[in-house]
Amino acid sequence: MRTHVAEPWVEAPLQTFVDEANALFALLLHPSGQVMGQFGFTRAVDVMAACALAAAIHASAGELGRELQGKPFRELYHAGRNRQIFIGDVPTTHHRFVFLTVFDAESSLGLVRIYFQELCTLLQHAQPPLLAQAPIADASFEQDLNRSLAALFSRAPRADGGESSISLA
Amino acid sequence: MSASPFEGVLSLLIRQRGVLGCLVVGEADGIVVDSNVQVGIQSNVVAALAAALYRKARLCSAAAGLSTVSFLQLEAERGHICAIGRDGLVLVTLAEPRAHIGRIRGAMIESLGTLA
Repeated sequence: MRTHVAEPWVEAPLQTFVDEANALFALLLHPSGQVMGQFGFTRAVDVMAACALAAAIHASAGELGRELQGKPFRELYHAGRNRQIFIGDVPTTHHRFVFLTVFDAESSLGLVRIYFQELCTLLQHAQPPLLAQAPIADASFEQDLNRSLAALFSRAPRADGGESSISLA
Repeated sequence: MSASPFEGVLSLLIRQRGVLGCLVVGEADGIVVDSNVQVGIQSNVVAALAAALYRKARLCSAAAGLSTVSFLQLEAERGHICAIGRDGLVLVTLAEPRAHIGRIRGAMIESLGTLA
């Protein structure tokens, strides 16, 4: 199973992480919730939900960290009965991302943390030069989101610029 | 602050000739519980990978009907990694090629009770 990405430069680092850490799911997103790349998800609606939740959890943990220790928490880990989740902050020179991964007993928190550090380094080296960006408006955010999801699931967004052609049901 | 329960075991092992470091690691999560390593050794990386290796070896041994892994030794060009485990904890020792593995093995097996 391969990773699916909205930006080509994140593919190799993400695939390396998935292969090395033996992750079940992986998701790289902007702190705003816009997806950059994913592994393991089969439905667009799951990616959207995971992105929204990861962005919210990351924002909440960041604020909590600022309240408690004056700086945001960078990593968050939760162990379930069979699966475990890890959410981490990916700082690069030009961008800041949030990374979410789900793994089971085939991997471990220690391995995930090692390969997460490696992922951060690979993304730092792979990132393209910073381009001037216009402020994100509500309408363009939704279009960008749909475009990313369409790229991830290999479907073209509708020409009218409205909702994505991806079935969200 | 009280001393770690593994301090005695680790100081016993680190005193062996050619030992570069020793760690107590959680088998399931690969996180360091306690360690005594020389400067320059990436204990977090070694711990996670050694714990994963030990776990796979334990599962492999059980699948082959060989029961529990009593002692795991990895021999590399520039040294050895030895591991022994009990009750979800793994004791890992890193040693130079010149180290006396027999003595290290004996000390590790003797220390097994501490991991319980």
